[in-house]
Amino acid sequence: MKNKSKQAKTVEAKKQALLSILKNRGLTVYDDLNNGKFPQFSIPSRSVSNIVYDKKLRQYILGKAAAVRSSRNMSQLRSFTQLAWLAFFVNRLVNEGKTSTLRDIYYSSQAFAIDFEDQPESDNIIVDLEAILARAREDFHVFPEERSSVFGNLTIEYTVPGYEGKRMNLSDHPDGYLIGPSLSSAELVDTDAELVIAIEKGGLFTRFVEEKVHKKFKAIIVDTAGQAPRSTRYLLKRLSTELGLPVVILADGDVYGEHIAMVIKSGSANAAHLRELTVPDAKWLGVWATDIEKYKLPTIPMTESDIKRIYELQKDPRYQEGNWKKQLEVFLKLKRKAELEAFSKYGLTNITDIYLPEKLELAKSL
Amino acid sequence: MSSIKETFSQISPSEFFYRNRDLAGFSNPTRSLYTSVREFVENALDACDQKGILPDVHLSIKAVDPEQPDPKPYILSVKDNGPGIEPKHVSLAFGTVLYGSKFGLKQARGMFGLGATMAILYGQITTNKPVTVKSCADGKTQDEFVMLLDIQKNKPIIQKHTTKESSKTGLSVSIVLEGDYSKAGIKIRDYVAQTSLITPYASITFEEPTGEKFHYPRIVKEMPTPPTIIKPHPHGIDVETIRRMMVDTHYQIPVVDNKMISKVRSELGLQKKNPNSKAILEKAQKKWSGLSRPVRIIVAMISFLDMDFEKLSKIRIDDLDVPNKKLTYWDFGESQSHIIELDPETPYYKQLANTVAGDTLHSFMTKRFQRVGPTTADKFAEFAKFKPEKRIGSMTNEDLVRLADSLQKFEEFLSPDPSCLAPLGEEPLSKGIMKFFNPEFASVIQRSASAYSGFPFIVEMGIAYGGDIPPKGLQVYRFANRIPLLYDEGSDVVLKVVNEVDWSRYKIKGDPPLVIVSHICSTRIPYKTVGKENVADRPEIERELKNALQFLARKLAVHMSRQGMADMAKKRANLYSKYVPLIAQFVTELSGNKKEPNYKQLMQKGSEIEEQV
Repeated sequence: MKNKSKQAKTVEAKKQALLSILKNRGLTVYDDLNNGKFPQFSIPSRSVSNIVYDKKLRQYILGKAAAVRSSRNMSQLRSFTQLAWLAFFVNRLVNEGKTSTLRDIYYSSQAFAIDFEDQPESDNIIVDLEAILARAREDFHVFPEERSSVFGNLTIEYTVPGYEGKRMNLSDHPDGYLIGPSLSSAELVDTDAELVIAIEKGGLFTRFVEEKVHKKFKAIIVDTAGQAPRSTRYLLKRLSTELGLPVVILADGDVYGEHIAMVIKSGSANAAHLRELTVPDAKWLGVWATDIEKYKLPTIPMTESDIKRIYELQKDPRYQEGNWKKQLEVFLKLKRKAELEAFSKYGLTNITDIYLPEKLELAKSL
Repeated sequence: MSSIKETFSQISPSEFFYRNRDLAGFSNPTRSLYTSVREFVENALDACDQKGILPDVHLSIKAVDPEQPDPKPYILSVKDNGPGIEPKHVSLAFGTVLYGSKFGLKQARGMFGLGATMAILYGQITTNKPVTVKSCADGKTQDEFVMLLDIQKNKPIIQKHTTKESSKTGLSVSIVLEGDYSKAGIKIRDYVAQTSLITPYASITFEEPTGEKFHYPRIVKEMPTPPTIIKPHPHGIDVETIRRMMVDTHYQIPVVDNKMISKVRSELGLQKKNPNSKAILEKAQKKWSGLSRPVRIIVAMISFLDMDFEKLSKIRIDDLDVPNKKLTYWDFGESQSHIIELDPETPYYKQLANTVAGDTLHSFMTKRFQRVGPTTADKFAEFAKFKPEKRIGSMTNEDLVRLADSLQKFEEFLSPDPSCLAPLGEEPLSKGIMKFFNPEFASVIQRSASAYSGFPFIVEMGIAYGGDIPPKGLQVYRFANRIPLLYDEGSDVVLKVVNEVDWSRYKIKGDPPLVIVSHICSTRIPYKTVGKENVADRPEIERELKNALQFLARKLAVHMSRQGMADMAKKRANLYSKYVPLIAQFVTELSGNKKEPNYKQLMQKGSEIEEQV
């Protein structure tokens, strides 16, 4: 219970901090307008040249370059106004405890004569605001459409309006639970799990539930549905830090699978302006390139773009050493790839009966 | 060797042109109709220009039988208010080829006045109809001639000549010729319209075969300064031209007729009826200093030929070859030619030689060329490795070639005199452009005179943008010596220069409503083809065109950026009045204020700041 009240306090404190920043920003602009000064925002630059890899933090971060968005510049006046509107809108969302989606924001803007030309433009302004405030959009109660699922013996307590204090166990529904706004903001109350398994594919997620992996391995299973969305990465981060659970990742045996694991572990360049989305201690279980030969998995040939992607990743500072480097090299040598479903050649439960235990055992020494 | 006997026979200039009419632009009914229009209209304008008369030109084209399909006979008439032609010259001017008054060196539209006669010739060939010329030169009587051309003899055949009273001078020419107006019409309309643009001091009316009338009124009431006739520039001279110049610098050997014989008798004071040559020479020696030049020459000839007056009147001197010391004459009595050697040692030789050898190089240079003074003449002689006293007539063929060559190469001649040029002038050009295109912006420039190969030229150029000009991309109107050039655009130097411009540098984008008017004036336009429709790319001309165009393009750029700034300020004001109130609304709630900030000051500022580039 102690733990719980602490979490609630943290959530409330974070909210108040955000509101205070928003108010201060608003005041600055308000005063500028009153004094006949052109208000402006300083936005950390997200251009490629300003994205650097921080070895200490083990993630990509933004460098020191910043751009000024000024209302004095005619070509920036429109986007300045859009930013002001978004801050205003987010302030309402957070105050009223409501959530919104990226698409929702695009349409909401039209009620205020803020003309976004298309959704990418409004998405971009949202990222601008994230960078200015150094807060993730989920903190603003803005969520993407993409959603993934979680299943396991984990009790949560909602904090969203109307559900405050209501608890839920995430093993009650065999299809898993959507990792949505209410789950993201819920408190993680209790669990007997000793492990989190993030898996790339919905099909395998269902198989793991059926095979009672959560019981056999005392695991919380998370379906990342491909490249893990931010809300999922945020949940994995909380499971890791708040509950102290180790996180392991299972993805297809190809270069994209390897990178899904890497993004969970150390973030993406796209989100270099944010700090709370990485799980530095997460482990990539497989499928490794070396597993393909070891487990004699049926394979399919790599495409041109697969190979191109390998060359790209070989330039990434995070792939310069250890297993990450080695597996890329083997993939390049094989020029073939294997999906998680490939284990079905040896029976539907082969992956949970043989592969998973062996890899988990191996992971202890990683 | 050959069994075929070749026969050589002379042909008349008329016949030459008849056989080579393609050269002069009479290759087919379409082109011929267009060329004929040009020749008559240009003659009319030239005639008015020469006398400083503001031209009033009426052009009409009518089908003889409108029902007939093209090509068919058309009646082409051009009437002007020029000085007219004196009746005694009319038949020669329009009835013979190569009769013209345009042989002097100054800028004119046509070169030698051949074109009109060619058109008449073409009309006669295709329709066998005579030309009708009405001319009034004195403002009292008008002479009307109806005549045909005798092609072989190069002579007019006058069919009818009538006179009537008239109060105005002017010339009217009417011919019947085969043409194709359905095809030529568009070019002729363009030609007339563009002529009015470059001749804003003229009033031109044009009546089409369909009966439609185009009237281009006079826009400026002042004639441009007329050109003056000047001597040639040394750089513009070739061997053949020097030869011709020498012929008229010669002191002609006098004809020995009765009149001349009695002149010699009286100057020498000879009493004897028929003195022999010795007696004549004796008398001459005594009275030498008082003798006139022709008499001295006669005496010199008598000394070489050893003839008395009677014999002398029966021969004709054909050639006096001073360098080779030979004299050729024709004896009418014997009907044969004789050549005698001249002894250079006799005192008479020098007299004869100097006479036919003409001017010294020094005086030839200063008298016969423009802008050559005594100093330059001497420097030139040294450059060409001749003595300044060298007689032109004594030069051998090799000498002449060297002279012609040196005239080209000597670099210290002053640049050609542009007073023989008649540019339109900036003001009339500008007015013409304003009237013709009604643009939003226009600018013109007249470059100072320059020269290529000894021919002076002046480039005039105008630029016009926006207004009534359709946004169809850049259009170029080319003129040379006030003639529109309509055909063969592709290879023209003006087009080349225009196409090299990067218009985006001058704030011009896409298909702009942009017009360029280029006018090159020269005593000789370097046309690429005989058709005289495109100008060759002489580097000197290209450079002048480029400078003119750059100047105008920069002016246009200034206009564009002024225009751009005005547009920008308006846009800016709109933007601020749209967005600032919104920002105020948002931050009022965001900052927890109740009252909106006072942003009026900012709005004012916002619409005032200049765009920072």
